[in-house]
Amino acid sequence: MRLPSRKAQAAIAFVLAVAAFVFWLLSRPDPLPASAIPAHTPDLANGEVVYHAGSCFACHKPPEGAAQGSLPSGGSPFKTPIGVFYPQNLTPDAETGLGRWSEADFVNAMTRGLSPAGHHYFPAFPYMAYRSMRTSDLLDLRAYLRGLPAVTSEAPRHGLPLLPLARRGVGVWKRLAFARAPFAPAQDGSDSWKRGAYLVNAPGHCGECHTPKSLLMVEDLGRYMAGGPHPGGEGKVPTLRGLVERKKYKDAGDLVLALQNGEELGYEDLSSGGMAQIQSNLAKLPESDVRAIADYLVSLK
Amino acid sequence: MTLSKRTLAFSAGFSIVLAAAWGAGLAADNPAAHQRHEAMETVQESFKPLRAIAVKEAQFDAAVVKKNATTILEKLKEAHGLFPEGSGGGDSRAKPEIWTDRAGFDQAMKDAQAAATAMAAVTEEAAFVPAMKTLGGSCKGCHDKYRLPKQ
Repeated sequence: MRLPSRKAQAAIAFVLAVAAFVFWLLSRPDPLPASAIPAHTPDLANGEVVYHAGSCFACHKPPEGAAQGSLPSGGSPFKTPIGVFYPQNLTPDAETGLGRWSEADFVNAMTRGLSPAGHHYFPAFPYMAYRSMRTSDLLDLRAYLRGLPAVTSEAPRHGLPLLPLARRGVGVWKRLAFARAPFAPAQDGSDSWKRGAYLVNAPGHCGECHTPKSLLMVEDLGRYMAGGPHPGGEGKVPTLRGLVERKKYKDAGDLVLALQNGEELGYEDLSSGGMAQIQSNLAKLPESDVRAIADYLVSLK
Repeated sequence: MTLSKRTLAFSAGFSIVLAAAWGAGLAADNPAAHQRHEAMETVQESFKPLRAIAVKEAQFDAAVVKKNATTILEKLKEAHGLFPEGSGGGDSRAKPEIWTDRAGFDQAMKDAQAAATAMAAVTEEAAFVPAMKTLGGSCKGCHDKYRLPKQ
């Protein structure tokens, strides 16, 4: 093969340099400064509610058979069609957990998908939903996590091809994803319904599985909660629309029992695709919050 | 366009034959999957009267509990024997983990049978809900690990 002329080589190098620069520019992290975090006295009880509402443990659990198995020390594989993710340790261990994270670090992770070092997190960590969380809830959650016993457990490196480049590329995707406003339900329901809308859409991140994704890997709001392919490739995630009309549940009260008891009371639809673990976490919420979630979900037609 | 009654009757008959052939085909392809599914359906049906007692839609009745728990136990034993190697895939919701973690699966099935045995022995109302949660919890734990979502 004959090499291109010197001029052509220079032109190619120039185009590549421009492309790399644009990529670098578009994928730059955009963290909130510490000064943007309001002063807040944390409410640990609320932090625990937020922790269960988000089912944090369902993903951040330790690998099977680990000691201290009920703490969110991370490392259990989260399999997706593009690769295996290893969610990180959420306990306050200084080296491998969140021990050294400032309030701003935590809020940036949850709402902007950024690590304290400014790296992009993959959206397998559902910050697109968490960006709608109230700052007070985030700070309460942080305080709750800091109160857990520290476990030393370094999550393995994600099993993804071209990891550093893919990670940086997430920054470009974020420009598209964050440009879209998050789903905002009409605020004309009862207080319980509004609370449910918040729990389902923000900390609960139900749409991450129950709303199918568009080609750009953002939620397709035209098919909000209409079900779709399972993110782990295990068949289908069911629709949450028309739960009562389709006779899946008799009424909101029946759905409350289902979320509180799952298959322990024979609600067998809640036991596959990872939902069993989520249901176990939702069962720990105050009954009024479970009722709020049910009120909101049965309103989806 | 109008269809003659004869055409309609013929089409309907033909569809039924086709559906039956398809069903038979499935059963023939993977008879174990078909049979264990039937057994599990019976378990689910027998769970309903128990659930009604647990949520206080029905009165506690030790005879109803014993009858349904006994059916559940029999059908669980039957289903347990219907997971031969290679009977996953296709329309089956069985996860490959049943065969890659056979010891874990067998233990989960035995735990469920033990829970059904305990339920069949319940005569006091106070013992019913805890027995129900143990039995339902064993279904949940096993389904979480070894059963795929609906396809």
